[in-house]
This record gives sequence, C-alpha cells and structure tokens, in this order.
Amino acid sequence: MSETTLIKDAVCSFCGCLCDDINVEVEGGKVKRVRHACRLGSSKIMGHGRIENPMIRKDGVLVACSFQEAYDRAAEILLKANKPLMYGWASTSCEAGKKGVLLAEEVGAVLDSTATVCHGPSVIGIEEKGLPGATLGQVKNRADTIVFWGCNPAEAHPRHSLRYSSNASGRFTPQGREGRKIIVVDVRETRTTKNADKFVRITPGSDYEVISALRMLVAGKGDIVPGEVGGVSKTDLADLAATLKAAKFGAVFFGLGITHSRGRYKNIDNALSLVAELNQHSKFVIMPMRGHYNVGGIGQVLAWSSGYPMSVDFTRGMPYFNPGETAACDLLARGDTDAALIIAADAVSNFPRATAKMLANIPVVQIDPYENPTTLLSDVVIPCAIAGVEVEGTAYRMDGLALRLRKMVDCEFPSDEEILMGILESVHKQRLLKANEGA
Amino acid sequence: MIIKGGIVYDPANGIYGEEMDLFIDQGRMAEQAKGEEIDAHGLLVMPGGVDAHAHIAGKKVNTGRIMRPDDSRIGTEPRTAVCRPSTGYTVPNCYAMGYRYARMGYTTVFEAATPILESRHTHEELEEIPIIDKGALTLFGSNWQVMECVRDKDLSKLAAYVAWGLRAARGYGVKIVNPGGGEAWGFGGNVKGINDTVPGFDVTPAEIISGLAKANEMLHLPHSIHLHFNNLGKPGNYTTAIETLDLLKDIKPSRMRQIVHVAHMQFSAYGGTSWRDFESKAPVIADYFNANNHATMDMGQLLFGSATTMTADAPLEYGNARLTHNKWSNHDIELEESSGVVPMVYFRKMLVNAVQWAIGLELALLVNDPWKILMTTDHPNGSPFVNYPEVITLLMSKPKRDAEMATLHEQVPKRTTLAGIERELDWTDITIMTRAAPARILGLQDKGHLGPGADGDVTVYNLRPEELDTSQDHALVKKALANALYTIKGGVVVSKEGQILATPPGRTFWVDAAVPQADADRLMLDLEDKFAKYYSIQLSNYAVQDAYLPHAKVIRAGLPVEPLSEVA
Amino acid sequence: MRTITITPLREFRISVEAENISPDKFAPLNIEQIKSRAIWQGNRQKTLSDLFAVEGDDAPATPEEMTIKLVGDLSSVKRIAEGMTAGVVEVQGSVGMHAGNNMKGGLLSITGDADDWLAREMRGGKVVVMGDAGNYVGAGYRGEKCGMRGGEIEVKGSAGVYLGEHLCGGSIRIEGDVGDFAGAANQGGTIFIGGKTYLPGAEMSKGTITVKGEAKVLPSFQKMEIVQIDGLAFQKYAGDLVDNGKGELLVGVGSP
Repeated sequence: MSETTLIKDAVCSFCGCLCDDINVEVEGGKVKRVRHACRLGSSKIMGHGRIENPMIRKDGVLVACSFQEAYDRAAEILLKANKPLMYGWASTSCEAGKKGVLLAEEVGAVLDSTATVCHGPSVIGIEEKGLPGATLGQVKNRADTIVFWGCNPAEAHPRHSLRYSSNASGRFTPQGREGRKIIVVDVRETRTTKNADKFVRITPGSDYEVISALRMLVAGKGDIVPGEVGGVSKTDLADLAATLKAAKFGAVFFGLGITHSRGRYKNIDNALSLVAELNQHSKFVIMPMRGHYNVGGIGQVLAWSSGYPMSVDFTRGMPYFNPGETAACDLLARGDTDAALIIAADAVSNFPRATAKMLANIPVVQIDPYENPTTLLSDVVIPCAIAGVEVEGTAYRMDGLALRLRKMVDCEFPSDEEILMGILESVHKQRLLKANEGA
Repeated sequence: MIIKGGIVYDPANGIYGEEMDLFIDQGRMAEQAKGEEIDAHGLLVMPGGVDAHAHIAGKKVNTGRIMRPDDSRIGTEPRTAVCRPSTGYTVPNCYAMGYRYARMGYTTVFEAATPILESRHTHEELEEIPIIDKGALTLFGSNWQVMECVRDKDLSKLAAYVAWGLRAARGYGVKIVNPGGGEAWGFGGNVKGINDTVPGFDVTPAEIISGLAKANEMLHLPHSIHLHFNNLGKPGNYTTAIETLDLLKDIKPSRMRQIVHVAHMQFSAYGGTSWRDFESKAPVIADYFNANNHATMDMGQLLFGSATTMTADAPLEYGNARLTHNKWSNHDIELEESSGVVPMVYFRKMLVNAVQWAIGLELALLVNDPWKILMTTDHPNGSPFVNYPEVITLLMSKPKRDAEMATLHEQVPKRTTLAGIERELDWTDITIMTRAAPARILGLQDKGHLGPGADGDVTVYNLRPEELDTSQDHALVKKALANALYTIKGGVVVSKEGQILATPPGRTFWVDAAVPQADADRLMLDLEDKFAKYYSIQLSNYAVQDAYLPHAKVIRAGLPVEPLSEVA
Repeated sequence: MRTITITPLREFRISVEAENISPDKFAPLNIEQIKSRAIWQGNRQKTLSDLFAVEGDDAPATPEEMTIKLVGDLSSVKRIAEGMTAGVVEVQGSVGMHAGNNMKGGLLSITGDADDWLAREMRGGKVVVMGDAGNYVGAGYRGEKCGMRGGEIEVKGSAGVYLGEHLCGGSIRIEGDVGDFAGAANQGGTIFIGGKTYLPGAEMSKGTITVKGEAKVLPSFQKMEIVQIDGLAFQKYAGDLVDNGKGELLVGVGSP
C-alpha cells in the first residue's frame, strides 16, 4: 500500500526567491507532484537521475567505493594540499556551511561561494557604501515604483513579480500591478521588459556613467550632464530621475547584467549611492537578485564565523579577505591552489573556460547529488542527500530572511553536513596517526 | 569547586566585601562543596558579569560585519587548540564575542533587539557564541498587530500577541524602539514626539508604550518593557524622556521590579536646541530617577574612537549617515520594524562627542541608587564592550576623569556638570551596576548573585580591594578588569588570566507566556489574515523552530500565574 | 651599507607570503637568523632558507643601512618590503602582490613587473617599477575610506584597474596606459598617467589626476578651461560633482 502525504508550505530550494508556499505530494517515499512552484523549482523538487554511489578515481576511471573510503581519500587530498580551495556552498544548507568553515579552518583552506561569479561585486559595493534595503514584504506592501536593472526575473526568478514585486498586492498597494510603474534598464529587450511600463536601453558597459548622470539629475545638478549618456538621451534620463523622485516607495532590483558588465563592483557602488540619495526625496530600497537559493546563507554563515561573507583565506590561521586575491576564480586563474573541494555548485560550468581548465590539473573532491561537468574532473565523488527535499536545514532568502527547509522524503545518502563531518573526522584521525608516527 | 578566601561582593545578598569561601556544586552556588580549589585570598570576587543591553547577534550585527571588512581585519586572533579564530573590533565574529566577554569576567549577555521575523537568524548566531548564557529581546514597538490592538484598545488581544510573538521569536522580553517611528520610516518618515500620530495606524507612540507596558504586566513577564525613547539623539530630547517616563508612572508592575527599563539613557539626556547650543541634561534626568522608583536605565556610555551604530531607530541612522558622509545600511522588516547600521568615530575635540561622553558618566554619578542604573556602552553604538574597564575606571576615579577632561574640547565644562562631581563609585556600586542590578532588572533569578542555588558564575579579579586605591591606581584596575584572573561559568573555569581554557555552550533563555485560549483564538484570526494578505511568507514557516535552540532555558510566565519556574 | 641577496631556489607554484623580507625585519639579525625567519606558502610555515638562497653581509645594521637584493622570478612572492621604514629593496625581476604594503620610507625598486596591490596603504618612501604594474596600485583596503596617504610610486610601463583607489595623499606616476577607474574615491594626492584611461576620478573629492592620453570622462565632471602644462594642452575638469567633489582632472587634448 503506498501512502500519499501532502506537505504544505514547503520551501523551494532553487533560487533566491525561496518561495515557501510549495505543496508537495509524496507517495511511496517519492515526490509525486509539486504545486505552486515555478518550473525551475518543480524540476528541482521532482528530482532527476543522480549519482548512485561514492567514487574514487583509480587509473583515470571513477570506481565505486564506500563512503568511508571517499571521506578518507578526500581528507588525504585536503591534508596534503598547501592551499586547498573549498568552493560552492550556494545550493546546500547553512548547517553544511558551518561544517565547511570548521573544515576550512582545520586544514587551512580558502573558502569561497558562488558569489564570486555572481553577486561578489555587490558585496564589494556594499563594503564601500552599505546596503539600504528591506525585506521583500516591504516591496509587496508599499512599492509604487520598481526598477529592474540588469536582471531578468521573468526568466531567472519566475515567481518574484507575483509574490514580491511587480504584480504583488499588499496593504498600501491593493491595486497590485495597476498601481505601479515598472521600469527596466538593460542592454536588450527581455521577457521582463514585456511587463514593464518603461524600458531604458543602455549601451553595454555604460551602467556606471548612466548612474552618475542620474545622480546628478536627482540632485538637481543636471545642467552639466551631456545630451546623451550611455546611449540614453538626457531627456529620457531626466524623465527617469523625475519618476524616481516622485515615487512614494521605490525598489531597485539588480542582477548579473550590472554586476558583470564593465565597472563591476563600481557599478553597484554607484547604484547604492543613487538609492541612498533618492532617500532624500522619496523612500527607496535596493536589493540584489541572488541566484542560488542559499548563496545568501553561506554569506551570513561566513560573516558571523570569520567577519567576511565570501573569499576567506584560512591558510594562516586567521581569516584573510581580499577578493581579487582570495576569490575562487583568482586562485584558479593563477594556478595558486593545489586541491579543490567543490560542494553544491558546478565549478566547471560557473567559471570561464580558462579558469575551469585549471581544475584538471589538481585533485578535486566533488560533493553533489547530481553529475555535472565538474564530475568529469573529479578524483573523489560523494553523492549527498538534497537539502530542502531530503534534509532539513536553514537557507537565507535574497533579502536576508532565514527560513527552514523541510525534509519531504527519506534518502539513503548522508547530508552534506554529515559528509563534511565524516571528512573532518578523517582529517583528525590522519593527523593523529601522523603525529604518533613522528613520536 | 571551592573559591577560597576571596573578598566577596554580593550586594543582592547583603555582602559588601567580606572575606569568605564560595562553594559550587553541580554548576550551582552551594553551602558546601568539594573539588577543585581556587585560591582567591585577598582578591576581588563577584558574580559573573551580566550585560543587559548589547547588540551581539542577528541581522544588523551581521550586516555590520559584512559592510565593514575594515573592522573585521582589526583584532584578529588566530585559531588555537581551544579557540576558533577571532576577528573584528566593533563588530567581532561570534567566537570573539564569547571569548572576549568571558575574558572580562562576563557570563550572561542579552541581545538588545530582534524583530520576530528575523529571530531565526539571531538564534543561529547566539548558538555560535561560545560560553556565555544569553537571551534576546523582541521588538514590538512598530508592529502592525500591536498598533491595531492598541488602536482598538484591546489589551487582552495585545497580551495574547506579545505572548505569541515571544514564543515565535523565542524571545525573552518586550523591546520597544522609537515606537511608531519604524512604521513611519516604511515610507521615509518618522514620528516627532510621543503624541504624534503614526501615519496609517491612528495611534500615538504614547499609546503604544502604555499598551505594551500594560500587556507586559498582564503577562507577568520577568522583565519590564525595555524602551529606546522617541527622538533619541536629538538636541533637547530630554523632555521626551521625562514625558515618556511620566506616562508610565501609574502602571503597577506585576513583579518586584521597575515598570520600564530605559535603554542607553545618555542618548536621550540632551538639552539645547541644535548641535550648536547642545548641552547635557543629565542632572534633570538624574533628579527624576532619584525622585521616582518606577524606572531603571542603562548608561549607553560613549567612548572616543571607533564604533558601529546599529539600532532599530532607522531614521536616526539615516540622519547619522548623512551628517557624517558615511556608508549606510538600512533594513525595513515587513509589518514589524526598521533598522540601520552606520560606522562612526567619536572625537575628543568634537564638542558634541565630548559632551556625550560626559553625559553618560554624569548620569551614573548623579543617580544616588546604583540599582537604578546599569553600566553599558550600548555595544557597539557607544563603544565596543571590550572597553567596559575604561568606563568602570572613569566611574571609580575622579583623577582619571579630570585627566580625560583636560584632553577634550575646551567648551565641555560649560555644557556639563561633570567636572564638579566628586563622587567615585566603589566596588559595591560597580558590582550592582554590572551584576546584581542587570539580573534583577531582567528578572533573572539565578544570575547576578552568589546565594545558594544561583548559577555557578563567579569572577575573580587580580585586584586586592582592601589594599587598592581605586581612585589613584585606576590604570591597574583597568588592566585587571580587562582580563579576569578566573572566570567561572557554571562551575567550570572558562578563562584564566586572559586565556580561554574551555568553551562550553551557553544556554538561551526565552519566555513562554500563557494566555486564555479565547484571546489566543481571536488573535489567530488577525494573524491568519495578515499572513494571507501582507507577509511574504507563510504562517507555518514563521516561528523559530526547536532546532535553533539546542540549549534552551524556558521561563514560564503569563496567565494564569505560575511561580517563575524554569524548564530545561 | 649592508647587502643581503636573496634568490628563489625554485619556481613557486603556490604563492609565498614574505612579509618578513624587509630592511626593518632583517636589520638586527645575522644571516643564520635571517635564514630561519618564518615564511609561508599556503598553510605551510617554512623558513626563508627552505625557499630561498640567502647570502650577504653578516653583521647587524640599522634599517637605513640595509640593501636587500631579490634576484629571479618573484612573481609568486607576496608582501615583500611590507611596512618598511628605511633602506633599499631591489627586485631584479618581477614581484608578487602587495609589494611594499604599508611602506613608510625607504626605496623599493622593481626591474620587472609588479603584481596587484603594489604599495597598498603606503605612508611614505618611494617605489619604482620599470615594467608594468597590476591592479589596485597604491590603493586602500576594502571598506576603508583612506588608502595611500603618502610617498611616491613610479611605474614606467602600464598599470591595471582601480589605480590609487581611495588615495588620500602622496603621488602616483604611471608612464603608460592605465585601466578603468583610476583615482576612484580620491580625497587627495596626485596621479599622473602618461597614456590613456577610462572614467578617472569617479567620486573623487580632492586631489589632482592628470591624464596625458585619452580618457572617457564621467558626465558628472564639469568642463572648465584649457590649461598648458610643459607646452602641452590639457582640458581641465572639476568633479566628481555627484558628491560635490573638489577634485581636478586634466585630460590631454589631441595626440601628444
């Protein structure tokens, strides 16, 4: 007899929206149906073919092994390395992140998250200017003006507009979409621009200058702004500035279109100042559209553990932070790492090809439920239970709100947390053995 | 454990510097015990320190860390066999928080303010802080449900919400910050005084404060409301302080304690009409506290140097940032609160900062009864907590105060009365202000004293109170207070001469208050409506789950009244 | 004059942290002591002699009297000359990141290229690079308002992005081209760029940036008059006006 259980209000563990109204039907220990989630989230929760057992590469071929053998080999690799990199973290729970920090401290590694290829520049901007923000419910209940800059939520965060932004209605926004002005700033039209009231097309790489021009116009210093900036006429920019100043509550959401175009963190730095200055005229908040569902979470864990939210170098016993030097792509690009542990991220797909190729030259340990291009380069592969489907845990939404992920079904595999503990125990054991040998 | 021959200060039990042995059995103070002997002959012994107001955990603290790598890189200490790495000065990482408090002899610290919605985060961080016992105060002052109950004069539903909110947040007490202002800030505004109407809600801060005070007492909560006044940080705001305190005069406390605890009074004791004619009104405030018994306060002492301001008074932070051209973080929390974080530096030669520095000290020295005023710096707003020894020695030594005053802006004597105050606090006063009074004010029965049954938290300082002249030898005192000779927590030596020896996890106190089912049911209708319409998450995912408090210590309260009891 | 010569024993794959190689650190030590100074390669602590050949004068001296010669490929060796107050450090080759961090005095010269964060948070002294420099030359640390406060940096070749970010004092001279955002958030000091750059002086509040070649200028800079310097014409701009900055930007007019 197979029982059907209905799990209500599960938290989706795909993107930074962390929708928590997902209803899941479980039958015979498997997820049967997912309701309310977008197709990205549904697909994640429904699951697909996964790695069947731990493997170790022997003579160039990945061969099945026990979990303990995998932990031991992983520990061996980490201990031997002078500067191991522990990368990923964005698609697993904070509980796993905490064990990761412990392991990084223990072996003297550099720990970095996918922020390095995503909103790392936003973090650096925040270090210059702070983050004038709010929870998503504030946008839902108050925003009458929303700007999407360099992001495409219609594709990357499908339920964002209905739950939190353009189409959401709340206490002071009973009209929902009708009562709002939606502005999209981007280098090309996207599905998001289709739901916008105004589309401002800017020349690729000109975000910084456009923001400076806007700041001047907002401050009433528009006289010296030239007739065109970044492919936008001064009239259009002045219009935009006026719209922003007239807002009762404005929200700016931004994504990779601005974090990774020319200027990078300076773009965000400038946008943060624009929003701070808009607060002299109206109420404004700004928020990064975090991609992976828990990149925010590993940032929080790293910050309270080490003082820094990403790219932390533990090799000398004290946390050292310097993106440009201690970020995962920095280490890989310079060949300044001699082992990698990749967890809850697909490093080979994340990084530019030249950087990803580096991974072929060093021993790689992969912890992931699914095979992906990183698996091809891995020397140890450890399958794990999926946080948010098979394991409970904590995740942080794009606005910094912490939610608890549910466990919906059982899984024979250990959680990321358990795997990291297994590797840590093996590290301790191997160290003790070595110390006794020396004695 | 036996602590032998210390000069013990235990004011809660009438002990003021008596040579005696102390016994700890199974983690609690006892009449007799066996075991490890600590030689404390002639040395200063007091209960473990209790900090009733510091910002140590949660979203705004972590925001402070994230936006201040410049602060995190100060104060780094490497990993050792016992300790994880430490970083930061004004916004230390979690491990540094625990180790540094323990080194100073503190064993209990309460996080000053957390919104219910983000309490999960607070508890994640509290759990990471080693050694100390802790709790978190929960914010209620700009909350939609609270304001609606106050508007409707529905006190029993309000009490039901406070109880429900504390349970959802696993909070310890009711925190109110710039009430109503947090909601006004939702659209960029603020409230200008306690009788201003909160836009969209038809209530005044005065009504919110009175309502919450009454609900607090209906629930027999161990702590009183903990209040950060409206108009904090503004010249002339002392009138708001007095007005607000008068509001609460006639409300009866449900326990033997104050009806209101005022947070960081220094920031609300300002005279003048602008920063130009800014002056201290500490004497007026002190007179009020001397003449009335319904309120207590903590200093909120400002010290020169680096700080990070962080508070739920978001409009204040925006103002700070604009004034000082500093980086600014803001975080408004749907239906509940607002907050801001801004780095600051306080300068001796800046008149306003120098007067602020004087005000905190004036308050402590002019209030006659040390049970009414706690020693704090509103960490990290006034200064990081590691500087508590500096504050203590300023209170104990007139020569030290005089030496400091000589380095300040020359106008300071015209704006404060500090120069003319001769009083020097003694060890009894200090023990009260840093141990006995915070425990009593918070309603922590087993903290802040050394009577049998109290938690076995004891501090031994390398000072000889019977030989020492705390007025002249203030430098020695400061050095000894920075690193306790022994910090004992629950009968375990956790720190010795500044070295952390053990890092047991502390417990998290929270209050579970019972209310009549009928009121709880009525409340649920409101809440279900709010979650359906306004919150961005589901009701079923809102409350903090058990998993976040593996070391919980629950205090029961509410109606019907049970004696204050604890369940592990 | 006391001279010590240091040569890497092999190529370093994992970067080396050599903050102990500086005139101040070496001055009071004899050669044996210098050889046993700590140096880090990733998470391994080693001694200088594990990684380098060390030769030279044995007798202790003052920092002023010290000359340290580093010969070979030091492009993976970081933090050389960190915090130095006096003396000479000569790199005959290329050098890794953070060379001359927090320098307060003395001379650091590099015949090859310098990697990122050359002379970060410099306070005084002089740095000369014959080759190219990387990103963040004379810059500050993340989140700090003020970076370099004094001293002189000269690079004969080109430099990367974020040159002199948060500059508060001192001077930086790059003969070649410079990457994006030179002189960002500057509150003082002078920058000279012999070649071209892109969006210089973003959010600068004080100081002078002179660009001999082309530069894309921000829309928040106000065009002022044309000035002549050493027979060359420069367009003067005032900015960055987003923040009411009182900085001065000079951009070459026409080809030099």
